[in-house]
Amino acid sequence: MSRSTSIMGREFGDRLVLALVIVFALIMLAPVLWVIGLSLKANAELMADTNSVFRAPYTVMNYFNILANSSVFRWILNSLIVSTCLTIGTLILCSLAGYGFARLNFPGRDILFVAVLLGLAVPEQAVLIARHQIFGILKLHNTYQGLILPGLSAPFGVFLMTQYFRAIPKELDEAALLDNASRFKIFWKVLLPLTVPAQATLGIFTFLWSWNDYFWPLISGTKNTMFTLTVGMASTQTNFAQSEGLGFLMAQAIFAGAPILILYLFFQKYIVTAVSGAAVR
Amino acid sequence: MVVAGDFAAAPKRSRSITAREVDVTAHIEIRDVVKRFGAATVIDHLSLSIDPNEFMVFLGPSGCGKSTLLRMIAGLESVDEGTISINGQRIDNLPPGQRDIAMVFQSYALYPHMTVADNMAFGLRNIGVAANVISARVAEAGRMLEIGHLLERKPGQLSGGQRQRVAIGRAIVKEPKAFLFDEPLSNLDAALRVRTRVELAQLRHRVKSTMIFVTHDQIEAMTLADRIVVMNNRKIEQIGTPMEIYSRPATRFVATFVGSPTMNFVPVRVAGGGAGGVSVTLGDGTSVKTAVPAMKLEPGEFTLGIRAEGVRVAPNGQGVTTGTVDVLERLGDRTLVYTKLKDGSVVVAEDIGYSRVAVNDTVSLSIDGSRVHLFDASDRAWHCEEGING
Repeated sequence: MSRSTSIMGREFGDRLVLALVIVFALIMLAPVLWVIGLSLKANAELMADTNSVFRAPYTVMNYFNILANSSVFRWILNSLIVSTCLTIGTLILCSLAGYGFARLNFPGRDILFVAVLLGLAVPEQAVLIARHQIFGILKLHNTYQGLILPGLSAPFGVFLMTQYFRAIPKELDEAALLDNASRFKIFWKVLLPLTVPAQATLGIFTFLWSWNDYFWPLISGTKNTMFTLTVGMASTQTNFAQSEGLGFLMAQAIFAGAPILILYLFFQKYIVTAVSGAAVR
Repeated sequence: MVVAGDFAAAPKRSRSITAREVDVTAHIEIRDVVKRFGAATVIDHLSLSIDPNEFMVFLGPSGCGKSTLLRMIAGLESVDEGTISINGQRIDNLPPGQRDIAMVFQSYALYPHMTVADNMAFGLRNIGVAANVISARVAEAGRMLEIGHLLERKPGQLSGGQRQRVAIGRAIVKEPKAFLFDEPLSNLDAALRVRTRVELAQLRHRVKSTMIFVTHDQIEAMTLADRIVVMNNRKIEQIGTPMEIYSRPATRFVATFVGSPTMNFVPVRVAGGGAGGVSVTLGDGTSVKTAVPAMKLEPGEFTLGIRAEGVRVAPNGQGVTTGTVDVLERLGDRTLVYTKLKDGSVVVAEDIGYSRVAVNDTVSLSIDGSRVHLFDASDRAWHCEEGING
């Protein structure tokens, strides 16, 4: 094949890939745009015809209705407290566990690591009843601890951090040992700063998961004042099929998801890195 | 301990230098050390003494245990048996940071998230050195190694050679009793390696300290070392100055490992002694008079070892044997002539740069008997009396 044909072939390939990416992006984006559109329409109009989303008038009344509920800000605060504490706690615990598994030699280390990984295979539903009863006995329902504690058990986070610590050359630990650094100082000053990309990835995923979590908060937080945003939003829905309040429902979805979208925009680089599996060091 | 050159100029440090000059460098004593990894013994009852200010090179092939030995001195590997002492004080039971030793790693092991200055200062901060002393030492090391303009950069923004200098700088600022280098040049490209080797040789004269350098590169060993420890298969084969190692190898392994091209080996029979040395008979029946004293050897089968410079292409008929030229390597100042003797043995001989020899020629070869080594069945070497071949 001649050089020019090869270059043309490559250009054609690039354009084909670009076209596919655009199509795929539109497929992904369409539902989001649809939801935004619906949220900006009056409920009565949507009851008559959802295609009215393509026509004016548009309104932000659905969003005002959400904010009119005096509990909304409490739910946002609850979600913020739970997600933030859970994220910080997970980062601390997973970093320490990852360092331990990657760098320390102790009896039963490998078996313990496998046991942690097995946690990935256990669905939440399988332990739900037992957890519910234990938390009931310990009087943890309707408390922040009750909403936070289950999420701190994060086998994926331990696995991620262990792999990341393992990828850091051991010569750095050794150089620091010769520099008279204590084991904690090596962890804190030398290794931990190098895991920032993994920390960011884990932190974002944990925050996203926690913010969107509905199942456990629904069970543990039964009082209106302890609702997270997802549970609170769901509690305001009146009729089953939402035929009377489609615009309001969509506004709720956007309202609940907006903080996550903002977070994503700020930490996009780390999320892409996490998904692609590349390590930034 | 870091004296000469620009370093001595800093007035604040002059007192600390004086105070440290008493036990400024290390006499390292390794006694009967053993290291095992599971069932495998990687260092087997090894003893060694390294003098103060000495530049000692551990030379050997991969897996011979040289890096493990260095790491044992550094404290990065435990010692299963035996002791390691510095200036009479046992250190093998001390953590690495308390041994007053600095190490330059093969991969440099610079902290990627810290600036060059912070990399150098990290160890000093850990032992509570005052901030003004740290900045003075870092600045001096930066000037000495010509990396002063890089102090605020991070390792990722440096070239391989610059990183290597930073790694050396990090060691220098600690003013340790001993420096350990674990193949620090092996990650550099060929040209930079040669340049850095020369700079390292200059540095060692400015930085008065005991230095141990691990390498598998015989040129690095020969050019840098005061003494070389040749290691093979978990044990020391020979300890000596570069020229001792080269001209009087203790074993066949040393003779093979050191020198390029590798030493010629030809099976011979020791015929008997005469005045000055034994005569040996080559496979083609040629008799060669050597300078190896007869009293040392019993008659029998031996292997004759001689370097290329001991075998010369002689004018026709003036050599002791003849060979057919297989390959010619023209190196400019000399020509290496690979010849095949009548019995099939291959011998590399030297000729002048503008050699007129051609492939397939039959050439006459002279053998310098004073440069002959004889290796017995256990590969132990027998040489001429010291002083005969330098």
